[in-house]
Formats: sequence, C-alpha cells, structure tokens
Amino acid sequence: MENKAIKITADSLYFYYQRQPVLENISTQFAEHCITAIVGPSGTGKSTFLTTLNRLWESIPGAKMEGKVEIRFEGQFRDIYHKSFCVNRLRRLVGMVFQIPNPLPMSIFKNIAFPLKLAGYKDKQVIAEKAEQALKRAYLWEEVKDRLEQDALALSGGQQQRLCIARSLVLEPEVLLLDEPTSSLDAKAGQVIEELLLGLKERCTIVMVSHYMDQVRRIADTVIELPAIRKQKQL
Amino acid sequence: MNRITECLIVAASWFCGIVLAGSIFCILGYLFFKGAAAVSLSLIFGKTNPIDAILLRKQVFNGIFPAIAGTFSLVVLSVALAVPAGLASGIYLAEYASDRIKKILSLFFDILAGIPSIVIGLFGFSLAVFLHKNYSDRIYPCLLISGISLAFLVLPYIIRTTQVALESLPKETRLTALALGATKLQNIFYVLIPQSLSGIVSGVILAVGRCAEDTAVIMLTGVVASAGIPKSLFSHYEALPFYIFYISSQYADTQELLNGYGASIILLFLCAFLFLIAFAIQKRLCYQMLYRA
Repeated sequence: MENKAIKITADSLYFYYQRQPVLENISTQFAEHCITAIVGPSGTGKSTFLTTLNRLWESIPGAKMEGKVEIRFEGQFRDIYHKSFCVNRLRRLVGMVFQIPNPLPMSIFKNIAFPLKLAGYKDKQVIAEKAEQALKRAYLWEEVKDRLEQDALALSGGQQQRLCIARSLVLEPEVLLLDEPTSSLDAKAGQVIEELLLGLKERCTIVMVSHYMDQVRRIADTVIELPAIRKQKQL
Repeated sequence: MNRITECLIVAASWFCGIVLAGSIFCILGYLFFKGAAAVSLSLIFGKTNPIDAILLRKQVFNGIFPAIAGTFSLVVLSVALAVPAGLASGIYLAEYASDRIKKILSLFFDILAGIPSIVIGLFGFSLAVFLHKNYSDRIYPCLLISGISLAFLVLPYIIRTTQVALESLPKETRLTALALGATKLQNIFYVLIPQSLSGIVSGVILAVGRCAEDTAVIMLTGVVASAGIPKSLFSHYEALPFYIFYISSQYADTQELLNGYGASIILLFLCAFLFLIAFAIQKRLCYQMLYRA
C-alpha cells in the first residue's frame, strides 16, 4: 500500500442516525487501484460508511454527518461535500453496488443504458458501445448478448448482481463502492464476482464491505476494521 | 384455543367475502333481470337513426343518447381537471413536503374528502352565481361548473392514492437511481412514478366511478332533464345518473321505469368502458416509462 497513491481520505467522520451515533471519529485513507475491505461485527456502520463516500446518506431521512471526505479526481483532492461539487457528478464518479441486486424492472439493455440516459447521452451508437463494454467488464456479455431485450428480473441472482456492477461501470467511475456484494449469492456466483473485482482493480479504486473473512483474505489488499461503538444494530 | 380462533377467523373472512361477492351478484342480476329487455337501440337513440345521431347530424329526442354524451363529457372533463392537480399534490406530499407541512395538508385533504357531495354542489352553485353577478351574465350553472365541482369532489382520492403509492415504495428502490447519479426529479419521473403507476391508476379509476355516479353535485350545477347533446362547456347538459333519478322519482308508466333500469345498465357499461381506457393508458405509460408491459 505504501507505494500506491492515496485516492480517498476520510477525516474525523461522525455519523448519526436519528440522533444515535453510528460512526464516531473515523479517519482513514484508501489507496488507488486497491481493493480495500471494510470488516467488523454487524451494526458498526460499515454500510453507512460507504454512503458517506457518495453522499447517498443525504437521501435517507433522519441521517446526519460531520467530518470531511476528500477524493482525488484528475490529480487534485476535492472535498466532496463542498458546495461547488455537484452531487450527481460525484455519484457518476463514485459508483455503488448494493447487497441485494437491484436491477430496475426493465430490459437488460435498458438497465445498462439507464445511467447514460440520466447523464444525458443521446447517441444510440455510443450508448450501445458503452453498454457492451460495461457488460464485458462485468463478465456478463457472453451470457446475455443474445437476449438484451429480455427482462432483467428474469436473470439469476448472480447475473443480476453482475448486471448491477456493469450498470455502475457504464459511466466509468473512478471509485466503486460495494456493500457485501456476494452475501445474497451462492458460493459459485460469489466466486465469479470476486474474480471480476480483481480484474477491475486496474480501472477503479474498490471499497468493499464484507462479512466473509476468507473472501477478504482472497481478494483484499487492505483491511479496515471499524470499531464497534454501539451494542445493538441501528440501521 | 388458538386453532379454534384461527378457524373462526378464516370462516368469518370467507363469510364476508361471500356476502360481498353475493351482493354484487344480486345487484347486477336484479338490474339485468329488470332492465335487459329495455336495453335497445331505441332506448338510446329513440326514433333517430343511430349513425346520424352519433355523427351529430340529427338530434335525439326520445332516447338517452344525450345523457350518455353528457355523462361521458362530464367524466372526461372533471378527471382531466382533477388528475394533474391530484398527481402534483400527491408527488409533493410524498417526495417534497416536510413532516409538518404534510400533517397540515393531510388534514385539509381529509376534510375535503369528508365533505358531502351536496355541499360541493352548493359550492359549485355559489361559484356560478358569483361569476354570473361579477363577471358575465352569460355564465350560469353549466358543464364547466359541474366539471370543476366534481374535480374538487374526487381530488382527495387521487392525491391520497398517489401519495400512498409513492410512499410505499421500498427504500432500496428509492436509492437505486440516486446512486447512479439521478437528480431528484429524474428519480421521481424515471423510477418512482412508473413503479407506482398501478396504485395511481386505481385512484383515477375511483375518481372516474365517483364522477360518473354522482347526482347531488350535478343537480345543483347545471344538469337538466332535457337539453340535447352538450353544445359547449357553458351549456346545460343531460346526465345518466340524473336521468335515472328523474325517471325513478316521477315515472308515468311501467315502460318508463324499465327505461330507468336500462339506463342503469348503460351507465354500468359506460363506467366499465372508462375503466378499460384507464387501464389501457396505464399499460401504455408503463410500457413507455419502463420499456415493458
């Protein structure tokens, strides 16, 4: 880790959910092009911590955060909570994949193209190319290339999760946040995703919450353990 | 003990279900038994040629075609007025309003939902009188006034169903598009509304039914026993529920009463037709918004 550049720094983060402290004085750094695993017993705010890196917690009622998060974009550290930083742009640069696969109820292709549509892409040729590229990076292209117009919800759980990863990759984010991406899948589907993440290291900085210590040993370059500050689970 | 309670609850639920289905069956059966014989082209068009009547080439005198046209235009007009306002208010309540504002506005909408329709009718009537006195003496109770009053009557249903449909979406669904860089407005229009469309349409269907059947409001705001096809938004009009009420309270002979039953059947079919249109629009919108049926 020492010889790799720092991509994200979080400085004295405090997080409250309905006035209950979830994170207390967390300061940590994430190296570029590494897989950093966040571990710890449940209820220590690991998932919450991920949402402070793409400001997604702001859409959750009752949540409150203090502290500073800086991410290096184009060689410069930027405070992602600064007024001048557009939150939609941030979320295009910092992708997120959830614990339970969440494809939208539309076709496979429309799912992949959805972030492009949100970002205002109009050219069908460009959209098709980017979608194909993202599906290839998520190891899904071979399985779905002949049925892109089919309903995404008809895919298996593992395929749905890879679709969600592809959907996050389509905008070529610099950071990818994953919240226990394999916990709802069987061992084999989980293994495919692990391999895929190892392959993605070259392009993105990956921050992953994981419960499985053997998974962490297999793929993580760095491990961060969040200290337990509460007795019971809040979020 | 627990098992007995459980059996009793199951039995009671079955009983209630059967009573409900049975009463619908009885009402419809009674209506068709009494009125089916009266339903004919001459009930609708009188002695006029149906094609001439539909193309508005000739007036219908002894039929209920003008009442059908009146009810149809009334429903379309009031739903068209109520749906945009209702949708917008529902979206505001579910997505933008703070808890405090939500509480206050919800109270107002509940009060509006609780107002008896005859009071809404009086409101419409007063509105017409006010406009007549202060703005133009050409304004009197008419199709437009009825449409506005009925829109107020059904607004709470549309607001509530929209709000509930949006609020009942799971948290994960709300965050999906936001995590992909969607703005709040994009999230609402591309994800939240398409996913709650069936709930929203059920509100619109309730509204259609209510507009088609309500008699109290229109009696005070412009319906008359005989006016022909409504000529403009500012003219008197006929309506099926009023025709049914009028016939049943002052029929001259059995045949006329049977005509009332016939008109009730036609009203049912008109509602069914409007529901079908609502469903078709839902299907179409769902397809366009989510790219699938």
